[in-house]
Amino acid sequence: MEKTVKEAIIVKNVYKDFKLFYDKANTLKEKILFFKKSNKPDVLHILKDIDLVINKGETVALIGVNGSGKSTLLKLMTKIIYPNKGKIITNGKLTSLLELGAGFHPDFSGRENIYFNASIFGLTRKEIDARVPEIIKFSELEEFIDNPVRTYSSGMYMRLAFSVAINVDADILLIDEILAVGDQHFQDRCYEKMAELKTSGKTIVLVTHSMDAVNKFCDRAIWLYEGRVKMDGPSAEVTKEYLKICG
Amino acid sequence: MKLFKDLYQYRELLKTNIQKEIRGKYKGAWLGVVWSYLNPLLMLVVYSVVFSKIMKIQIPNYTMFLFTALIPWTFFTQTVSQGAFSVVANGSILKKVYFPREIIPISIVTSNVITFLISCIIMLFFIFVTGLGVSWYILLFPVVLISQYVLLLGITFILSSVTVYIRDLEHIITVLLMVMFYGTPIVYSMDMVPASMKAILLLNPMTPIINSYRDILFYKQMPNLKDLALIIIVAIVLFNIGLVIFRKLERNFAEEL
Repeated sequence: MEKTVKEAIIVKNVYKDFKLFYDKANTLKEKILFFKKSNKPDVLHILKDIDLVINKGETVALIGVNGSGKSTLLKLMTKIIYPNKGKIITNGKLTSLLELGAGFHPDFSGRENIYFNASIFGLTRKEIDARVPEIIKFSELEEFIDNPVRTYSSGMYMRLAFSVAINVDADILLIDEILAVGDQHFQDRCYEKMAELKTSGKTIVLVTHSMDAVNKFCDRAIWLYEGRVKMDGPSAEVTKEYLKICG
Repeated sequence: MKLFKDLYQYRELLKTNIQKEIRGKYKGAWLGVVWSYLNPLLMLVVYSVVFSKIMKIQIPNYTMFLFTALIPWTFFTQTVSQGAFSVVANGSILKKVYFPREIIPISIVTSNVITFLISCIIMLFFIFVTGLGVSWYILLFPVVLISQYVLLLGITFILSSVTVYIRDLEHIITVLLMVMFYGTPIVYSMDMVPASMKAILLLNPMTPIINSYRDILFYKQMPNLKDLALIIIVAIVLFNIGLVIFRKLERNFAEEL
C-alpha cells in the first residue's frame, strides 16, 4: 500500500502566523492583572496559502531572501510546529537537520551523542551500533570522537550532526542552511553523499543561498517571497530569475 | 494505540532519557544518587521524632507505620514536581527536533518508578530488621504500584503541558503538594480521622493508594478492594484525559517555549 504512494510531502493551502508579543504574560499574576488591558499581539503572516507537492525521489531547493518563510516551512514539514490553517502530509520516515547541534548534549562525548541523536530519530540500539563506524568515518572525527562535544568547533559539530542525519536511513531528509559551516572539502563530500541518496530514491529538501549548489544538485527549486511561492520549477530557470532580482 | 507504537519505535530514546534522568538529577553533587534515598530517610527520622516522641501519637511501631507510607508519598511528590517542569526544561530540544513529545513526561515518571523500587528494597531491609516481616499480601504490591504509575502519568501529562502556558503553576504545585501531604493519611491513620472529614480525605486519589501500601506492608492484611478498584478506574480515566490535553497543547510547545 505504502509503496504505491507517489508523493513524499504534500502541503495543502498552509497558512502560518506568528504572534509577536511585546510583553508576554507568562505567569498567572500577569495573566490576571493584564486581563483587561489590550495585550493583543501583532500577528505576522509568515506563510500564506502554500500549496506544494514534492514527489518521492525529488531533490528540491527552497530559496528566497531572509524572512521569506523557508525555515518555517521546513519546521512545519518536520512537525515541530503546526500550521494555523491547511494540512501537511508526509509519507515515510523523516529526518531533519534544522539547527546546528540540535539534540546534542554538550557534556557527552561525540560517540555518546551519536547514540543520543540517532535515538531521537527513532533508531534502536542495535541499528545504531551497526551504523556507528560509518558515521564516525564520514564525520572524519576519529581522534575526537571520545571528547565531549563542547570542545568541538562549529565545523566539527556540523560534521557530526550531518553524519548522523544522513546515516539514519530516512526516506525524507530536510536540511536547513547549515552546510555553509563546513569547509569546501566536507561540503563536497556532503553533496556527493546526498547525490548518492538521491539516486537511491530518497527525497531531499534543502534550504540554501548557494545558487551553484542548487543548480548542481537539485532538480527543482521553489522560490519563496514574503510567504508565498513566487516561482516553482526546474532549478536552472528559477535561479536565473532569482538572480535577476536578488543577485 | 498510536502512543504504544511510538513508544516501541522510540524505545532507545526512552531508555537513554530515563538513564539521563536518574544519573543527571544529582549531577555534580558529592553524594550523587545517594541523595534520592537519603532525603526520604532524613524526613522519616524527623517526622518519627516529632510525631511519636513530641506529639505522642499512640500507634505501635510508629516508625515503620510512617515508613511504609512515606516512601510511596515521596515517589508521588518527586514525580509531580519534577514532571510538571519537564516539558519546559526540555524546551531547547523540543524546538529543534521532532520526536513524540509524550516521551518526556513518560521518562520522568518511569525514572521515578526505578528510584522508588530501590527505596522499596531499603524499606524491605528495615521491614526484616525491625522484625515486622512480610505476608503473602505483598504479592499485591505490583497492582498498587501500577495504579499509582498510571495515575502519575495522567497527572504529569496535564501538569507538564499546562506549565508551558502558565509558568507559575510550578509554585502552586509546591503549595498544593504540602496541603496534600497533610490531607493524606501518612503521619496519622485513617481511623484517627473524624467521620465528618473522612469523605474529604477520600476525594484525594492518594488516600486509597497510601492506605493500600500500608495494608499490604504494615498491617499485613487485605487492602480495601473496593477503594483500590475505584482508584484504578480513576487512574485510567485521568490517564486518557491527560493524554488528550497533552496532545492538544503540544502543538504549540515549540512556539510557546
